[in-house]
Order: sequence, then structure tokens, then C-alpha cells
Amino acid sequence: MSATGLAAAGLSKPRWRNRSILPGFGLSLGFTVFYLSAVVLIPIAALVIRPWSIGLGGFWHVVTDHRVLAALKLSFGGSAIAALINTVTGPIVAWVLVRYRFPGRRLLDALIDLPFALPTAVAGIALSTLYSPQGWLGEPLAHLGLKLAFTQGGVIIALTFIGLPFVVRTLEPVLADLSREPEEAAATLGATRFQTMRRVVLPSIAPALVTGTTLAFARAIGEYGSVIFIAGNLPGISEIAPLLIVIKLEQFDYAGAAAIGVVMLAASFILILALNLLQNWTRPYR
Amino acid sequence: MKRWRSPTSDHPLTSIALALIAVGVVAIFLVLPLATVFAEALRKGLDVAWAAIDEPDARAAIRLTLLTATIAVPLNAVFGISASWAIAKFDFRGKQLLTTLIDLPFSISPVVSGLIYVLIFGLQGWFGQTLRDWDVKVIFALPGIVLATMFVTFPFVARELIPLMIDQGRDEEEAATSLGASGWQTFLRVTLPNIKWGLLYGVLLCNARAMGEFGAVSVVSGHIRGLTNTMPLHVEVLYNDYQFVGAFAVASILALLAIVTLVLKSVLEWRFADEIAAVHQH
Amino acid sequence: MSLAVDSLVKRFERFPALNGVSFTAPQGAFLALLGPSGSGKTTVLRILGGLEYPDAGSVRFADLNWLDVPARERRAGFVFQQYALFRHMTVAENIGFGLSVRPRRQRPPRAEIARRVEELLALVQLEGLGKRYPNQLSGGQRQRVALARALAIEPRMLLLDEPFGALDAKVRKELRGWLRALHERMGITTVFVTHDQEEAFALADLVAIMNAGRIEQYGTLEDVRRSPKTAFVAEFLETAPLKKADASRHRGDGHPG
Repeated sequence: MSATGLAAAGLSKPRWRNRSILPGFGLSLGFTVFYLSAVVLIPIAALVIRPWSIGLGGFWHVVTDHRVLAALKLSFGGSAIAALINTVTGPIVAWVLVRYRFPGRRLLDALIDLPFALPTAVAGIALSTLYSPQGWLGEPLAHLGLKLAFTQGGVIIALTFIGLPFVVRTLEPVLADLSREPEEAAATLGATRFQTMRRVVLPSIAPALVTGTTLAFARAIGEYGSVIFIAGNLPGISEIAPLLIVIKLEQFDYAGAAAIGVVMLAASFILILALNLLQNWTRPYR
Repeated sequence: MKRWRSPTSDHPLTSIALALIAVGVVAIFLVLPLATVFAEALRKGLDVAWAAIDEPDARAAIRLTLLTATIAVPLNAVFGISASWAIAKFDFRGKQLLTTLIDLPFSISPVVSGLIYVLIFGLQGWFGQTLRDWDVKVIFALPGIVLATMFVTFPFVARELIPLMIDQGRDEEEAATSLGASGWQTFLRVTLPNIKWGLLYGVLLCNARAMGEFGAVSVVSGHIRGLTNTMPLHVEVLYNDYQFVGAFAVASILALLAIVTLVLKSVLEWRFADEIAAVHQH
Repeated sequence: MSLAVDSLVKRFERFPALNGVSFTAPQGAFLALLGPSGSGKTTVLRILGGLEYPDAGSVRFADLNWLDVPARERRAGFVFQQYALFRHMTVAENIGFGLSVRPRRQRPPRAEIARRVEELLALVQLEGLGKRYPNQLSGGQRQRVALARALAIEPRMLLLDEPFGALDAKVRKELRGWLRALHERMGITTVFVTHDQEEAFALADLVAIMNAGRIEQYGTLEDVRRSPKTAFVAEFLETAPLKKADASRHRGDGHPG
């Protein structure tokens, strides 16, 4: 479409978009929507529709089954605990990376992305070996009486690994942008460093911290590869929800698998919504 | 004169404590697992490790992984470019919705991602019967694996490019168009050079995830040794078979890939900090 | 409590910010550090406030080796150019901050803090705005909150860094007169930084004209204006003639903004 063609046709373009002289709107948007639908939307629709083949009652029956509930509890509960652990360690790591200067800082910073870059299966077997009773960490912990491999504790460790970068990376830009002046003001007003951190710095990064923690939580509930090797996978005890989906599929219980899938999808949607609301809440504040 | 400390810097003891905690957290949670991969792979020596990589099933897995990435990554890159062009250069209702939908696969469990393709193409799925009649295999075969991988890595390139292109604005493209350039010319000669680093970055991340994807592929692949196992799946198979050295040996290749990705990522970030910083503002 | 600054030297990396700055001022003086950007005036202010430390030189104030006193203990109220208000706290919480962080033994009870905050709100003419957040206030109002916050700790010294720089001309004029009146009422030794000589002359008793890390001339307004000691001073002052603002200051009829 030439520029003049577009301009001339401008009068007849649908009112729902601004006129632009740039070409390629139809092509790019069309392809985008097509691809999005084919690869994402239609498959998701399939998921949402499937459980109803067993009816609402059937759906409820699957979801409230003892084993399913235990798995959901572990996935959600473990993720929450892991996210909370990261709420404590994340800010410390981010603070050190942003505020301190020391040799090797860049290396440390690059390492934070490791859980993003490392395939989950690789992380999974590594964590499992590391925390097994003969592992580098598992052995000393065993002496202390802590058994982590093949237990719920192992699940939490793996989920903490996964979630750390989310918290750190969300906090880093916020910390970097933080003006020093309020801290200076607090000092001139007589506050100790601890008081300044608690009353001035921490509240400024609180929204970012909540966002990062929520992202870590959202990622953790669906995590599969990093967790199944260290988890133990005992039904009703150390079995995570995604694993249960896989098991049901292997038994050709498509509807059952889809039912659990829908619950997880719904959780994802709610979290995305929560995150969007969070963004809107923090913006007018400034 | 007494030693002076800026009022905005932490007490030295606090600094040391925090720094130790930070390094400790990274070392325990991140470095040790990585080190474990290589240590376990080389436990019985380099030869044994190499033998595990050089055997037929492993080589098939490597080939499948490469093939999958070669198909999925370029397609997702094209999509990413297309989506960010539409979103950054035009205004239309539903833009926010589109952006949210594009982010969707990020928030969904990988297993659920695989599940949805089984529900469509699997034996009991929508097209299950139809495919069987035509003797076309999607699930438990390459197409399923590619589709699942595409779904999971779908947003990577778009997410990098959209804020970048929004940040860069429309001025240059509008200038080119008013000078008579066609859409393709504008794109190739004006836009592409501007976004090349963001594109490279996005492709890098997309590729790393495509090659490493486990959960989604695990569901659709059927774990048929030598045929439908990608590298991550092969690692699982070996590990569950108690062939630990073999599992870690193959895993090392993936870990090396991860390290290369991180290095390239750092280099890109360092060299083109401003451009990429604009992306991460959102 | 007179202020004596002696031979301050400060380098930032390789940049020489201060090249030997010395001056003295009596208790209760209103002193302006006037000069172009980069002249080092803000650096002097920050050293006085404990936010920077000089490479050489000394400062005596209130019979103390001032540089040895940590910023936290100086009770030098600092007002920043961009206000530096705590955005997540209300106006009242901002103003009361200095009182609420005092060590337990010296901390006034909550009711007392609230009362003092009300007093200060009235002083800066922001009664009733205690529950608002900084982003709900205008620039001029925010600056008054910043001032009230600094005054809350009963400072021995008041330091202002181009306090009206971010405000428009009309608000600036109002606040100027009002600051002057406040100073006359409270008598706190005040040092303020500005590049605007109209402002310096309207507010200060003593002015130090700075350039490239040195004080070119220091003295009362009349001294400086009538007998400029260096070419720089003469040139710098030439750019703005004597204004009516001066006359009104002598009359002492500055109105609070």
C-alpha cells in the first residue's frame, strides 16, 4: 500500500484506529492475530472446553479428589513459601548488586539469570543430586537432621531456585533509579541507617517487591522439570499438580487432566490480573 | 581526621554481612547446582562422559533438539517482529488486550502448555480421529514437539521488541514512508537496523528456552527413545534409568549452552545497554 | 554559635570542586553562596550538612569540630532543591519524621509530635493539609513541607540548596519574602545556595560569590556591590541591576507565600 493510497483510503478506514501513513498494518496485524490464535488461543480454548465433557459434577469430583487436592496444596503452598523466602533473600541480593562495588560484581549479576537460561531438567537433576544424602549439600544437612531430597522440603528448595531471579530482576531497576536524596534527608533529620532503610528505602521498593514475589509465585506453581526429580512424587504427599496432569494423561484420563489444567490456568489468569492491577495501583502513587 | 562514611552508605559490618549473604545465596542456590552438573558428568572421567554423548540415542536427541529450535525460533522471531510492528507503529483498540495475550504462555505451566496440544491432536483430542485416519502423527512425533516448543517460546522475541519499538517511536518510519519507501523497504532499511540488537537478544533467549524446554515437550513427546526424545527428555530418561553419568554428560551440553547464552546476553547488555535498558523499563 | 570555615578543599575523582574556601559568619546570620553552576557552592553546603567530607580544611560551629560530628547528630536542617520528601508518607508524617526517629529516651510522645507538627503546619501556612501526600501538593507547597520538616528538629543551622529553583517566578517571590520573615523570627544561622543574585540580595545579610571552587568575594551586600574585588565579581553582578526587592527587604515587609 503506497502512502498516497492509504491517505486517500483514510476516509473509509474503520473508525477504531487512528490513521497512520505507515504501511503494513493489515499484514502485520493480520499475521499476528492469525499466529496468536493458531498457536495460543485455540489450543487454550481446547483446554477450557474439555473438562466439561464430564460435566460440572465430574469436574468438581476430579478437583476435590484427595490426591488432586494434596497436589494442588503442595504446588500452591510450596510456591508461596518459596516466594516468601525469595522476598527476604531477593532484596538483599539486589541491594548488594546495585549499591556495592566489588570485584566480581558483574559475574554475580550475570549468574542471577541462571535459572532463566538453564533447562529445567538440568536444574532438576542437579538439585536432586546436590541435596541427596550423598550430595555436597545433602550430606552435611543430613548430619543436622534435615532430609530435603524426595520430600516437600526439596520441592521448596527447587521452587526457590526458580523464583530468585524474578524478585532480584524486578527490584534492580527500581533500586538503581532510587534517588539518594530522601536517604540523605533522613540522615540530616537524625535517622540511623537502620531507621532510614526501614522507613524510607523499604517502603519505596515495596510495590516492586510485591510484583517480583508475585511473578516468582506465578512461575513456581506451574514448575515441572526443576521439581520432579527432587520431589519424591509420592501421591498425596510430595506430588506436584503438574505431575498429576502428566499421570492422568498417561492413563488417558483427558478430562481429568484438563480439569486440573483449568484450575492452574485460572490461577495463572488471576495472577496476571493481580499483577496488572498492581502496576496500576503503584503508578498514580508517584 | 576521623574516617568518614557517607550517610547514605551502610555501616561496614552491615555491608560485609549483606555481601556475604548475597554471595552465599547465589553460591548455594545457583552456582552449586551448575557445578554439580559438570562434576557429576566427569565423575568417571572425560571418556565415559563422551561415550554417553556419542551414542546413537543421544545423538538423535541432539539432532531433534536442534531441528526443533531451527523451526520454532525463526517462526517466533517473525511473529515477534510482526506483532511489535503492529503494536508499536499503529494505534488501535484492543492493543492492550493483544499485548496481554502475547504474554500468556509465560504465565502458564509448561505441562499445561503441552496438555493443550494433546487435547487437540491427541488420540482422544479434537482432531485425534481425523489425524489417525490420515495417518498423520502430531502427538508423539516431531510436529507436536515443535508446536509445544513454539507455544512456550512464543513471547520471547515479541516481549523484547515491543517496548523497544515503542520507545523508538514512529518518526523514522514515517519519514521514510513520506519519502516514498514501500513498507518492506521501510522495514528492511530503517526499522531492522534499529532493532537488530533487541532482536538478537530476543532470539538468543528464545533459542535457549526452545532447546531447554522440558515440561511441555515431555507431555507431547511420548518419550520414544531415539525418535521423540529431545535432549532434556533424554536426560530424564537416562536419570530415571540410574545412568547418572550419562544423564549429566548430556546435561552438561545443555549447561554449556546456558553459560554461552548468559555470556552472550551479558555482552549484548554491556555493549548496547541503552537500547536494552529501554526494553526493560516496562 | 558562629560558623568558621577554613580552607576547604574537595576533589571528585579528578575534578577540583573546592580550592580552598574560607569564611566566617556570626550566629544567626543569613548567608548566601552565590555563583554559577559548578562553582562549588552546593559542595560547601553539603559539607556543612555532613553529606560530603572535604579532603582538607576545617569547620567550626557551636564550638565543635563540625566535621567530626556525624550528619545524624549535627541537627543541621537541610532543604533540597527537589524537596526529597518521603513520597509514601503523608505531609504530617514527613514533618514529624525527625522527631519520630530520635532515640527512645529523647523521643517525644506521639501526642506531642502531633502537636508540634500542627504548629509547624501553621507556621508554613499549610494547616489542614497534614493528611495529604506530597504528590497531591503544588511545588511551592512541597517546598514549604520540606522546610517545616527541617525546622521540626529545632536545627542549629539551616541549609538550603537552591530551594526555590524548581518553582515559577511568582511562587519564588512569595516564598522568598516569607523565608526572610521566618528567619527574622527564628534567628537560625542559615546558609543558602543560589545562582540567582536577585534572590541572594533579597534574602541574605552576607553573600559569598563563588567561582571555580573559590570565594571571589565575601561580605555584606553593599560591600560586594560597591567595591567588587575581582573582574569576575564585577561581571557577574553586572548582569542584574539593583532591584526594588532590595528596598522592600530593608523595610522588612516580606509576606509568607
